[in-house]
Amino acid sequence: MRTLRAEVLKTLTTRLLLWYGLGLLAFLVLVLSIHIGSDDVGDLSQVSTQHSIFAVAGLAAVLAVLLGSVIVTAEYTHGTINQTFLAVPRRDRVLGAKVAAALVVAVGLALLADAATLAVAELWYRGRGLTLQLDGETMGPLLGTIGASALGAAIGVGVGALLRRQTGAIVLILLWLLIGEAVIGAVGDTARFAPGHTLGAVVAAHTDGTRDTLAVWPAVFTGIFYAAVFGLAGLLATIGSDVPSSGD
Amino acid sequence: MIQVESLTKRYRGATAVDNLSFTVPKGRITGFLGPNGAGKTTTLRVLLGLALPTSGGATVGGRRYRELESPLRTVGAVLEASNYHPGRSGRNQLRVLAAAAGISGSRVGEVLAEVELTAAAKRRVGSYSLGMRQRLSVAAALLGEPELLVLDEPANGLDPEGIRWLRNFLREFADRGGTVLVSSHVLGEVAQLADEVVIIHRGRLVAQQSVAELTAQVSGATRVRSPKAEDLLARLRATGIEAEATGAGLLAVHASPDRVGDLAAEAGIPLHELVAESGSLEEAFLELTAEPQ
Repeated sequence: MRTLRAEVLKTLTTRLLLWYGLGLLAFLVLVLSIHIGSDDVGDLSQVSTQHSIFAVAGLAAVLAVLLGSVIVTAEYTHGTINQTFLAVPRRDRVLGAKVAAALVVAVGLALLADAATLAVAELWYRGRGLTLQLDGETMGPLLGTIGASALGAAIGVGVGALLRRQTGAIVLILLWLLIGEAVIGAVGDTARFAPGHTLGAVVAAHTDGTRDTLAVWPAVFTGIFYAAVFGLAGLLATIGSDVPSSGD
Repeated sequence: MIQVESLTKRYRGATAVDNLSFTVPKGRITGFLGPNGAGKTTTLRVLLGLALPTSGGATVGGRRYRELESPLRTVGAVLEASNYHPGRSGRNQLRVLAAAAGISGSRVGEVLAEVELTAAAKRRVGSYSLGMRQRLSVAAALLGEPELLVLDEPANGLDPEGIRWLRNFLREFADRGGTVLVSSHVLGEVAQLADEVVIIHRGRLVAQQSVAELTAQVSGATRVRSPKAEDLLARLRATGIEAEATGAGLLAVHASPDRVGDLAAEAGIPLHELVAESGSLEEAFLELTAEPQ
């Protein structure tokens, strides 16, 4: 428990969360404003459109993957991992605490994204003389954002523990999500099982799957599978290696 | 207190530490010396559980670091001064450590005061000088009130005032009964500070002795001044003793003063000076770590 407290304290004592939160809010305001401001009133009244508007909050899941990786890689970048392992030599315990801390922080960001999405959408809908329909069908993505962010954070910690290099991890994650998964989607019909698509399916929270998108529960279990695989690989890499040093 | 036993550490075929064994006694300051690349940092990192040994190992009080129940309450370590997040304040760096180790938050203020960093506690570490970061490292090491301090090149980058502060601090720590293992290549520092030294070269143990024993061992030369220095030189060489003239009436003789004095008396050669020159730790270090010609 005290290791978890220390890990949460680490995230709260730098400006990392502040920048992530501000970036997330800015992006949500921009995308939602373009989306709602440019659609015609007929489209905006449809349930499917409101569903896709709320799914914009799912951006928090992408940030959660990045955040999870940075929670680990920042320690290697700044060398603070030395102090961390001196205080808690059990590396499995440290990595477990990092996963838990990443979950806490990612869920916090997801809640922020949900609140911001609701607020911005409500303001735009009112401004255009419309009423948001808030029910299970349209609100699914807001819950999905929380689930996908939690899964994304766990996957990110695993990737970070595996790669250790902060810039490398961030670039690799973004390249994979922006390009890698698009390439998979173009050459085959298995892209729905890729990590990014899986997190997207959790956000979308559809009860039935399609050729391109998993249904919500298969997506959740696939996400858990990825989190477990990356987490285990990261743990083995962390336990079985030396902490880098610049001395002799 | 510390036992390093048959420790070997290889990196991709290169051997950093080679079957190294030594002990660090409780309540003393032990200098850990060796040229750059000798394996000092690697040894300390294995001791602290940060590097995995290829074979052998190192223990603190009979237990490996990873097995210690409260590591920070047992060992305080000062490693590289750059091991801090530049955007986190000095105080928060210590709060994080204290939380992880289950140490009361009130200790943070105490150790910051002990290393004279209270005024800068809320500043981000990125704005600290090297000396301030080194003090912060010492504060981190003291958080758990350990009996043992392990320091890796703590004087690196410190100005003379910082070095003096560190020396006084470690001496006071040892005087209170603490044990210190300090690696350094600043030999003058270790000579003033350490009770004994462990010298390694190319990952192997070269010597473990008290500083006094070690410098006496390399003392070698006896300075002799005599009005009949040339006669004495011939006499010494005739008996197989190495000696050379170092000035008018002066000789450097590689034998004990007793032996030189006896020989001079037997030959009826008057002596005006007979001094055993003590070697410095630096001479001992260079002699022990010299590459074969």
